[in-house]
Amino acid sequence: MAGSALRRLMAEYKQLTLNPPEGIIAGPINEENFFEWEALITGPEGTCFEGGVFPAKLVFPSDYPLSPPKMQFTCEMFHPNIYSDGRVCISILHAPGDDPMGYETSAERWSPVQSVEKILLSVVSMLAEPNDESGANVDAAKMWRENRDEFNRIAEKIVRRTLGIPI
Amino acid sequence: MRSLGISMLSVTLTTVVIANAYYQKKQFYPSVVYITKSNPSMAVIYIQAFICVWITGKLMRKIFFGQLRTTEFEHLMERSWYAITETCLAFTVFRDDFNPKFVALFTLLLFLKSFHWLAEDRVDYMERSPVISWLFHIRVLSLLLLLGFMDLYFIQHAYQSTITKGASVQLVFGFEYAILITVVANIAIKYGLHSVDLNSETPWDNKAVFLLYTELVMGLIKVILYIAFVAIMVRIYTLPLFAFRPMYYTIRNFKKAFSDVILSRRAIHNMNTLYPDATPDELRAADNVCIICREEMTTASKKLPCNHIFHTSCLRSWFQRQQTCPTCRLNILNSSTNNNDPRQDQRRRVVPPPGAAAAANPPNPFYNPYLAGANPFQIFNQPNGPQPQHPAPQANQQPPAHPNHTPNISENAAPPQAPNQTFPAFAFPPFPFLPFMAPPPMPPTNLRSLSAEELRRMEGNEMENVEARIQCLRNIQVMLDAAIVMMQQYSAAAAISSQIPIRIPSNTVQPNSSLHNATRVNPSNEANSSRQNGVLTSNTPEPLTNSDKEAYVSNLNGESSLSSTMNNEIGTESDRSSPSPEEEVRRRRLQKFLQNEQNEQQ
Repeated sequence: MAGSALRRLMAEYKQLTLNPPEGIIAGPINEENFFEWEALITGPEGTCFEGGVFPAKLVFPSDYPLSPPKMQFTCEMFHPNIYSDGRVCISILHAPGDDPMGYETSAERWSPVQSVEKILLSVVSMLAEPNDESGANVDAAKMWRENRDEFNRIAEKIVRRTLGIPI
Repeated sequence: MRSLGISMLSVTLTTVVIANAYYQKKQFYPSVVYITKSNPSMAVIYIQAFICVWITGKLMRKIFFGQLRTTEFEHLMERSWYAITETCLAFTVFRDDFNPKFVALFTLLLFLKSFHWLAEDRVDYMERSPVISWLFHIRVLSLLLLLGFMDLYFIQHAYQSTITKGASVQLVFGFEYAILITVVANIAIKYGLHSVDLNSETPWDNKAVFLLYTELVMGLIKVILYIAFVAIMVRIYTLPLFAFRPMYYTIRNFKKAFSDVILSRRAIHNMNTLYPDATPDELRAADNVCIICREEMTTASKKLPCNHIFHTSCLRSWFQRQQTCPTCRLNILNSSTNNNDPRQDQRRRVVPPPGAAAAANPPNPFYNPYLAGANPFQIFNQPNGPQPQHPAPQANQQPPAHPNHTPNISENAAPPQAPNQTFPAFAFPPFPFLPFMAPPPMPPTNLRSLSAEELRRMEGNEMENVEARIQCLRNIQVMLDAAIVMMQQYSAAAAISSQIPIRIPSNTVQPNSSLHNATRVNPSNEANSSRQNGVLTSNTPEPLTNSDKEAYVSNLNGESSLSSTMNNEIGTESDRSSPSPEEEVRRRRLQKFLQNEQNEQQ
């Protein structure tokens, strides 16, 4: 039998392929290596990210699901909870014990019950409702709070860029 | 392409150097002497040697690993830089022995080390790869054998050299290769465990434990080796700075392995003693899928005090990290003594069972317990509150269509039709806030201050609420009509007894304020009773005859404190005969006001 992490990832891949959640596609970049995934997330409807298709990379640790994967958008993003290099900062991706922002309770942290699907759905809801209290991108958080129009404009620009539409 | 260019250049340079030497000296030995005496020529030869080592390395990599994966390459690069700096530090300690042979030996050490690292990564990869070919096994096995023999040979060499020639730089090599041989042993054990696991049909639960103990034993050996090495180096030479970083990491790893083993033992102990095995019935009742590994639970599984069931092995590896239930985060160490802990029930209510959790119901990362979580219960906290609420949707099910929703944006949201059109004479009186008054839910004082969300909620789906509100408005209307009738009656009475002075009690001097007082009386009771009397149904008050007015007043007499007082006043004051100037002023003022009111009514 292969390793438990591998089996679990294969099970999740199968599940995601058979019953894909709306607006989300995810799978290993290369089927020889199940520990690096690529995901495509569509921007939630009715938000400033609507219509965008955002590629992201998920890197799983060898002890998955005991430790959370890392997620990073591979396109340009401007969002209060996404670092400027694309890393996603949501509590579900933080192992209990490490708390980069110092405000999360352990109840919302990673646990083996979570899955790729839940992570991606959380990211979708994060896109829809940014949490400006934990500013991974302080500029974006400030703009989200104080100058929503400008934020929406930048978001739209990013959406257009991901779709390859000239601005 | 670039590396090919560099090697071609280096080969050309070497050829030129050798050709030049041979052209000048014509013979083999003089040419060799010439090259070794000339610094530029030696530099070229050294570069050529390094490039040869590089090419050999590439070749061996091709043979034993094939294509390197990105992570392997990154690890290799990262470790190489540390190793190179440490080697340079080591040179400073042994600067007396510095010679080409010494450099060559260090290069060889680095070369072999890098293959150990690669082998380590490759064997770790076994656990992650879905397909392990025969080629992989052959490669790993032959590489391990080769590395093991090389390490042993160099240890032997260092030992002999130290015995015969006394302490020298060979001491460092001896220790380095001793460390490397423990690495080889560790890799070999891991490889063996992984191979057994791969070839077994069922998951091998105890593999994790074996790996843990291997890590512990190897860590211990390495720590002992490093400490001995540093002690000997301090005695003979000086503080071996170059060994500090690896020593620190080794000790740290050992400490981690040690605590892992302790945690694992505690977890196993807890599971074996505290938690019962799940019975087949329980497994059937539950989802029968272990939420940790997403596989069916046919073999050993355990039930936690919170009734969640997991594979024993999955639970054990999780408990090494955290002593909580993966599903509900119940702290199993605290609650295991008391199965009826009330907190437990609380938590269970909040967290869905594993089956439901597997469905698409992601925990909201921005879940705010003060906003979203409390909402479903809010309606119970204030059952007669000003806004009829139905439980707010969970934040994660909320359609993401209102990202801009903030409590103060409501300009664009149309408020429900303002009811003050039905009685144009009066502004909507500020309603007192009476949460304890049951039947009609009061509309809030100012609809514009509510958010779109709240308005929508208020508009609601409850028919009764709307009806009750309409009823409430009708009652108010009835009351206002009654007040007007009373005023008319009063003015008529005043006109009849125009010669008779009237003393009006001070609280009725301003009819507007007394009207407010009247509406503040429980509107439902008031209105219901006046409806029961069957008097007022029309919307607009018409000019009434005197007898009608009398009937109104008498009907309202029982309920309205205002009318009763007024009647009493009229009754008692009709006896009086001498008007005082100030009462005359009051009377005029009142008449004027009533005229204004009537004008507005029409």
